[in-house]
Amino acid sequence: MFERFTQEARRVVVGAQAEARELRAEKIEPVHLLLALTEDDSRGGAALRSCGVDHESARSAVVRAGSPLDADALAAFGIDLEQVRAAAEAAFGPGALEQGKPEPGGHIPFADGSKRALEESLRAVLRRGRRRGGAIDSGHVLLGVLAVADPLVQRVLAELGVARGSLEGQLGDSSAA
Amino acid sequence: MAGPTTDVTTAAAADDPAVGLRAIRALRELADRLEVLQVGNARGRGWSWQQIAEALGVTRQAVHKKHARSRKDD
Repeated sequence: MFERFTQEARRVVVGAQAEARELRAEKIEPVHLLLALTEDDSRGGAALRSCGVDHESARSAVVRAGSPLDADALAAFGIDLEQVRAAAEAAFGPGALEQGKPEPGGHIPFADGSKRALEESLRAVLRRGRRRGGAIDSGHVLLGVLAVADPLVQRVLAELGVARGSLEGQLGDSSAA
Repeated sequence: MAGPTTDVTTAAAADDPAVGLRAIRALRELADRLEVLQVGNARGRGWSWQQIAEALGVTRQAVHKKHARSRKDD
């Protein structure tokens, strides 16, 4: 399906795999597409930047909200992640808790949410098909990511204080729903 | 009644399904990572897969399948 993607949109898809690998994720989730989009030079990245979302702030929001080791949730049950981390590092050295999780090698598959996001990006093009050439650009990928309403993407955007509607507005797609 | 404010806050959060389910996921992830560290340490100290399996309460096949691949030894 990628033959319909512009160069920039393909770069986002490739970048999402790199983001997933760096975060040691087993699958490419919509949030990794979002992170890759923050580094996009084209429409999608521009929309994010105009809403104040840059790669650094988005990545730290993803790590906070999206780390499977959710410190806030653990704290609600009386588990202090920092103490666990300190104990692991005392026994096994600095970064032990991160190293405990092997970095995924080779090809990382798309999560279902990301597949749906990419399908939705195609749908975003079709909605505007008469006016545009029919290619899926990075703006459409961003619309696709927003359309699947992934819980982690929603939490990250909420943490960054960005409303989905204002991003869609930036991309001239406020009629999405 | 020590620290009632903290207790109430904690109870409220733990009562929220979203927080509770995220905590379960985090606990599983935490257990997985600690298991990788502990199994690696045990192997480094010469424990057999059978001994590790018994300590973890799983079959030897299960622990070998899960960990042998990510380790250089056998």
